[in-house]
Amino acid sequence: MIDILSGVQSTAAALDAERTRLDVISENIANADTTHGPDGKPYQRQVVLFESALQQAMNGRNIPTLRVAGIEKDPRPSEMAYEPGNPDADAHGMVAMPNVNIQEEMADMISASRTFDANLAVVKNARDMAMQILSIGKH
Amino acid sequence: MIDALFNQPDYLAAKKALDAVALRQEAIASNIANLETPGYKRLDLAASFNTELQRACAARDPQQIAALKPAVEVDPNAVAVSPDGNTVSLEDELLKMNQNSLANTLETQLISMDLSRLRTAITGNIS
Repeated sequence: MIDILSGVQSTAAALDAERTRLDVISENIANADTTHGPDGKPYQRQVVLFESALQQAMNGRNIPTLRVAGIEKDPRPSEMAYEPGNPDADAHGMVAMPNVNIQEEMADMISASRTFDANLAVVKNARDMAMQILSIGKH
Repeated sequence: MIDALFNQPDYLAAKKALDAVALRQEAIASNIANLETPGYKRLDLAASFNTELQRACAARDPQQIAALKPAVEVDPNAVAVSPDGNTVSLEDELLKMNQNSLANTLETQLISMDLSRLRTAITGNIS
């Protein structure tokens, strides 16, 4: 198989990684009010870590692509809210809320979706270029 | 003997430039993919390639042009745009991608024109 779309490997890896990031953001938003997870503790915000990885392209060169290095828990402490009616409340009526900040997640989501779009533009561009090259010699 | 037809400096130079365009597209794709990777340094075509291609074209030496090898390197002029040391700026990359796309159109048309000139010379028909 020849590498007709230049650079499409790194773009595909990036699209995949950004998708993972969007998935994690939606998990965070969905669990913004989960005070009681499977382990009995409030939900902890998750963060996706990216790293650059060298991948061998078909033409033998090493090109840097993107890889998800891991999904880690945000170590920031939970906020306490006064909700005496909540079954998870302690003796003082305080409930530990997840450390998810909706505004932060929304900003992160927009940034991830913009990056996704930029990578799609690269594929489209590579495709247009390949079409031009394929029409060399036609008249 | 047929090789001589495809060994004209103009045709070879357009082919080399097209190789460079494909390589540059690869570099830009990596840069945009790593837009948010901490510490990533942007890649680009080695600046020496263009000057060497110009020199080889001026000398009109097919061997010299054919020996050129475009390569990708870390852009030495890029400055970090974010505190994590990443040197990729999305606007810059998109601009360079569009420039590259134009260069691709130019080089493919140059090659097509060279081939159609050859065809005209061989057949005598102006198509």
